[in-house]
Amino acid sequence: MPADPRPDLTACDREPIHVPGSIQPHGVLFALSADRVVEAASANADLLLGGPAETALGRPIEAVVTGLDPAHLDAVVGPQPFDRAVRLGPVSLNDRTFDALAHRSGDVTILELELLDGPPEPAGPDLRHEPVAALVGRMQLARRTGELFDDVARVILDLSGFDRVLIYRFDETWSGTVLAEARNEALPSYMDLRFPASDIPAQARDLYRRNRVRQIPDAGYRPVPIVSRLDKPIDLSSSVLRSVSPVHVEYMQNMGTAASMSVSILSEGRLWGLISCHNREPKRVSPAVRAQCDLIAQILAMRIAVEDVHGDAADRVSVQAAQARLLSAMAAATDFVTGLQSLPDALLGVARAEGAAIVHEGRVTLVGAAPEPRQVQAIIAWLMAGEEDELFETASLGQVMPGGEAFADLASGVLAVSLSRVHASHILWFRSEVVRTVTWGGNPHKQFEPMGPDTRISPRKSFAAWAETVRGTARPWTPAEIDAARGLRQAVVEIVLKRAEELASLTEDLQRSNRELEAFSYSISHDLRAPFRHIVGYAELLAERYGAGLDDRGRHYLASITESAQTAGKLVDDLLHFSQLGRVQLNPVRIDMDRLVLEIQRSLAFETGQRPIEWRLSPLPPARGDASLVRQVMFNLVANAVKYTRGREPAVIAIRGRREIGEAGAETIYEIEDNGIGFDMTYVDKLFQVFQRLNRAEDFEGTGIGLALVRRIVDRHGGRTMARGEVGKGAIFAFSLPAEPASGGSA
Amino acid sequence: MASTLRPILLVEDSPKDIELTLAALAKCQLANEIDVVRDGVEALDYLHSRGSFAGRNTGEPAVVLLDLKLPRIDGLEVLEAIKNDPNLRQIPVVMLTSSREERDLVTSYKLGVNAFVVKPVGFQAFLEAIQDIGVFWAILNEPPPHRLSGAPRES
Repeated sequence: MPADPRPDLTACDREPIHVPGSIQPHGVLFALSADRVVEAASANADLLLGGPAETALGRPIEAVVTGLDPAHLDAVVGPQPFDRAVRLGPVSLNDRTFDALAHRSGDVTILELELLDGPPEPAGPDLRHEPVAALVGRMQLARRTGELFDDVARVILDLSGFDRVLIYRFDETWSGTVLAEARNEALPSYMDLRFPASDIPAQARDLYRRNRVRQIPDAGYRPVPIVSRLDKPIDLSSSVLRSVSPVHVEYMQNMGTAASMSVSILSEGRLWGLISCHNREPKRVSPAVRAQCDLIAQILAMRIAVEDVHGDAADRVSVQAAQARLLSAMAAATDFVTGLQSLPDALLGVARAEGAAIVHEGRVTLVGAAPEPRQVQAIIAWLMAGEEDELFETASLGQVMPGGEAFADLASGVLAVSLSRVHASHILWFRSEVVRTVTWGGNPHKQFEPMGPDTRISPRKSFAAWAETVRGTARPWTPAEIDAARGLRQAVVEIVLKRAEELASLTEDLQRSNRELEAFSYSISHDLRAPFRHIVGYAELLAERYGAGLDDRGRHYLASITESAQTAGKLVDDLLHFSQLGRVQLNPVRIDMDRLVLEIQRSLAFETGQRPIEWRLSPLPPARGDASLVRQVMFNLVANAVKYTRGREPAVIAIRGRREIGEAGAETIYEIEDNGIGFDMTYVDKLFQVFQRLNRAEDFEGTGIGLALVRRIVDRHGGRTMARGEVGKGAIFAFSLPAEPASGGSA
Repeated sequence: MASTLRPILLVEDSPKDIELTLAALAKCQLANEIDVVRDGVEALDYLHSRGSFAGRNTGEPAVVLLDLKLPRIDGLEVLEAIKNDPNLRQIPVVMLTSSREERDLVTSYKLGVNAFVVKPVGFQAFLEAIQDIGVFWAILNEPPPHRLSGAPRES
């Protein structure tokens, strides 16, 4: 016994029920060697022998039992199957009618003479075949097997005469559910009850797989021992008379049934379920009726198998359709995550899940009803800590993952595929727990009442329904869904690999063109600037040395040449600066914006000079960014404000700042407001573009790069630029910068 | 007694830039001779008094005004050669360049340049820059004395 003081019915798993050493009393058993010598006999053989069973041992069967059919005797020495008892036919002995059955067990042939109640059944067509034939016809017509169960139960009830017939199905955990029932009033209804796996222990299920029909005509029977001169007990797995476990007898008595028969429903070699028949009073069913019940059960099993295959095929078709849509979406998208995300229904549909998560490069993308990213990461960490296969699935995460029960509401069922052996890259599907009310036949967790010091294993005493809510368990993943997840994984891996190759070649192209661009701008900076310098230089030399000899118009021409060349040179400089910005490395630091603004004010003093400017400076929160670039931004905006308020008496320039929590997290925003010439909001989109000017060049000098530079710098910092204005009234320019992660705050 | 004023060496390939630079230097009214060479090879030949400059006895230049982009051996290579040569290392070198490229500036300072001037587009500004340089390096900046006495070509 296990250390657990509570005895478990799984102890039944170890009971050797196939070698009970006894039979039930509704027949006589002989074990015969190849030359028909009796090696063992059931003790009740005496009624045929006229003496104790022991007297038969070592003698030929025909010598000890007279009246056996010679054809049966021939059959007994012929080849017999191991797995089932073959019905040889009726035989009358000592005024009683028996059915003779034979099969092999080890080295011996087992001859069983099963007592029949009535006269021998005719071998030919029987009226009782009629309902069976009709049932088979209906089974062929039925659309769903679900419709058939009640019908089958009813026909079996009529055919066998039992008080109650149940159709009982096993689930993955070998717990059983009653799907259909036909009964009279002699026994209570067991409809919709569930029976825990321990009710039919593992080796009983194995036996049921091998021996499809069992009956116990009277649970109150006294086992008949087998006397034997063999050195080993006889394996009675295929015997129709085999004595059952005392535990099973007690179980039947607890159920209030005296007689039972069960017929296995096998689908693809697996025990799918049982047709379980009970009678309140003792009852025997003839081998012919048992054979008919078996036939019905096997036809039902075939029908179930067909539907399983069909259902599976239908599943696969719908799942593959979802997969095909995802593939085309992934092919069209820039990366597979975007592709999968773009079709949430298809992504969920692949595994018929309620939620999904894509985890790639440390980012968690959620679809549908999924746990939080943090929880998803925890699941992945747990998966990766174990022996990770490319696919993992469970219907009850809480039972396998420590702490997993915490998010059972959304992720009891988890199906995960790993996309990379190296990186944490996964697709996960989730199913919520099915909080289902289960009607148990007896509390599965309380199988035993303490019975005293020598507690003996004993089946449940109460069959009253006991409701249990099974928590933390989701609908299990079907083979079709698991295959679909595996298929999608394969597709994603292929796409990712292909993308990586494309990306590598693209990167190479980009690097080359970037190098070319750099060389180009380098050469511009030297070669394009030089001629402008020369023009200006010579024009000024000319003006200086020979200006006196020129008239006013000549000097005006010369001045225009100088000015134009200077403008062109400045343009080249600004453009180069702008293009260098894309390449320059940012060096983010904390910037005291109040000091920065004061410094800019000072450096603009030359321009502001005598002008009446009213500065309205509010305390600014510190910024985080590249000091020289942020200075450039602030400088350009303040210089613009100074420039475009020219002529205002007084010019008013206000500089404000604030800290905000936006969609992208905390940011600092700075605003520069002026009462200058403003602009028409129609052109607001053009403001920040290179070479876009909204004013005539002779009114306000400039190359049209200043604001483009502002936007480019702010973009590179991950911030935004904004502008608002009204012609003749003024303008507000603003930019935001992502704030420092913590601390900070304005002084 | 100070020796005769040492020359200024201008290394520049563009005739227009030479003319304008000379005009600017003339405006500074420096007494120094201005020697002009057209590429890096000539510059190094001049400094080592070899090749077409064999037998030159004008002494070490007071300052080298070095254009960055030059035929054959470019300005950065000339700078490196000067700063790696123990006999030339102390000669002040001013980079004169059209380039606004940061990496040129960084490289120049790593190689030990004494000043780096981006030629402004405006002539007036250029004039001012040249004047500053000329006055500072040619007049104010005294070379280290040990080099003067130890220079073999001075004796």
